[in-house]
Amino acid sequence: MADRVSDRPLLEGRGLVKRYGGVVAVNSADIVLSGGEILGLVGPNGAGKTTLVDLVSGIQAADGGTLTLAGRPLGGPPSRRARAGLARTFQYPQLALDLTVRQNLALGRTARRNGGPLAMLRSALAGVVGSAPAEDEAAVEAIAREVRVGDIDRRCRDLTLGEQRLVEVARALIQDPLVMLLDEPFAGADANGVAGISEAIRDVRARGHGVILVDHNVDLVASLVDRIMLLDQGRVVFDGDPVACLRSEEMQRVYFGTRAGGGAAGGAAADPTAAGGAAKGGAADGT
Amino acid sequence: MTAVTPEVGGTAGGSSAGGPAAGPPGTRGTGVRVWPPLGLAAVVAALLLVWVGSNGYRQDLGVLAATYALIALGMYVPFVMAGSLSLAYSAYAGIGAYAVGIVSRDTGWPLWVGWLAAPLVSAALAVVLGLATRRLSGFYLGAVTLLFATAFETWLVDADGITDGSRGIGGIRNLSVFGWSPDRSQQLIMATVLVLAVAFALDRLRQSPWGVLVRTMREVPAVVEATGVRVPVLNLVALGIGAGIASLGGCLFASFVRGVTPETFTVNIVFLAIFMPLIGGVGTPWGAVVGALVVVELTLNFPAFSDSGTLVLSLGVLVILLVAPRGLLGYLDALRNRLAAGPLTGLLPRSSPGSSSPAGRSSDG
Repeated sequence: MADRVSDRPLLEGRGLVKRYGGVVAVNSADIVLSGGEILGLVGPNGAGKTTLVDLVSGIQAADGGTLTLAGRPLGGPPSRRARAGLARTFQYPQLALDLTVRQNLALGRTARRNGGPLAMLRSALAGVVGSAPAEDEAAVEAIAREVRVGDIDRRCRDLTLGEQRLVEVARALIQDPLVMLLDEPFAGADANGVAGISEAIRDVRARGHGVILVDHNVDLVASLVDRIMLLDQGRVVFDGDPVACLRSEEMQRVYFGTRAGGGAAGGAAADPTAAGGAAKGGAADGT
Repeated sequence: MTAVTPEVGGTAGGSSAGGPAAGPPGTRGTGVRVWPPLGLAAVVAALLLVWVGSNGYRQDLGVLAATYALIALGMYVPFVMAGSLSLAYSAYAGIGAYAVGIVSRDTGWPLWVGWLAAPLVSAALAVVLGLATRRLSGFYLGAVTLLFATAFETWLVDADGITDGSRGIGGIRNLSVFGWSPDRSQQLIMATVLVLAVAFALDRLRQSPWGVLVRTMREVPAVVEATGVRVPVLNLVALGIGAGIASLGGCLFASFVRGVTPETFTVNIVFLAIFMPLIGGVGTPWGAVVGALVVVELTLNFPAFSDSGTLVLSLGVLVILLVAPRGLLGYLDALRNRLAAGPLTGLLPRSSPGSSSPAGRSSDG
């Protein structure tokens, strides 16, 4: 995998800022992702993980900072960034619940043919006189198998929360993104879901593209990612090797509130699993 | 009523088991519709035409129903599918009627020039009105378009030089197609065919990838935006398509009645049209057509209630929404599924493996 990592970053965010009134949700954060890299974004509730993902994907407008994707400036509404190569999932799954899994997944392909007003009119006309492109159907079925979505003719309303997240990940994967942003995809996922999402992540990396993975479950994240960024109160307090992150003082301080140095440092080195366990418990409570 | 209400229970009324956006034939679901909507609609329409016969009053009713149906079908794409409630459909229909009238009065061109121009003008207008309110909530789209519709009525009276003021434009030439002038019966048949064609096209559109995109936009706009489609633009396109279809209703009416006045299309018609899809069932555009027939029947052809038709209509709407929240077609669909799930189940092998059973659909909503 490492050989796919190019020298120029795939996604580069510098000095990103987001304020809500007096609260600084993201405080001059840098985020850099190379091709073929999986970046974990961890931190306690309110650390600014989702806000940072929103700033990158354009769901929220940044109050400062710059973004580039594959060397080009990244900005504008989310749709423009999506066409530039971003795909994302949401912390709370966003699916058209009355439509089937198949229809929700196909969206990732349909969107390509609806890039502007004329394209939309053309697409509407094609909808009346033509039939759905066979290659879309094939792509939907292939990705659904790969991500283990199961029966895709179910309505999304009938899915469990974990299954809905899986559908979201599959929809993002169908967009064939340069960068896939996954916001807590594992919350509520069962073993099958974890396997499916992991497969999706590996798939994107294998294409030389990047993944940003937000999750509470530090253990799980550490096992999947090439690098971890730890956020606390809107600041990036650690950025580096996953194992080193688990053992770092910052990790201890952020998750357990212990001060760096002294006896706590020994504890930090000794129980990275405890950190993961605590985070896991928190995630379970949340679902 | 929340924006989500209209499409809940969306597969009502003849959506095939094969479902929307079904791929190439054979890949999934033989998906044979038990009631092919177009075939069924054609049979019903033919029966209605027989009932109308050469009775002049019934012909008027028939054309009015077709006009209502086109206006309601126009509202279907933006309102039911995209969740955008514009209220200017009386103005779009008015543009259609006046386009035909002006072509007849001022030019030697055939009337269908008006039929072509009106949808384009109406669509452009709908886009402008949508643009004006694009940064505001959906409420303002409704408010601004309502304001426009009422102002448009006044303007039709005031703009004497263009619209002949309150007299309106009369004596519109007979519709003529390559020298052939259809009589009233033939015109009604053509109107019926037009309604069937538009409803059929919209039914296909609803189930096409584009339709799925628009319906997703109503429920989760953030997703549509995040997959790369500019939501406000898609919304404007939906509004434009709807306005264009609604204006055809006006063209039809003016061509048949051979006249138009400012009172022909008032805002009242919009409030009738809103309920047509709900009465018929929002799960399919055919519901809008059924709703239009019901409205015409209740308001104009119910001798006992001749003066209180609108009151009867509002009570009728209440009853229908209470008894059949998915509209008449949704109710029939559920009834059919219940019958099929009953003692006859074994006799009616209906769904292919893999497609969700119709019985499952009847339990929703």
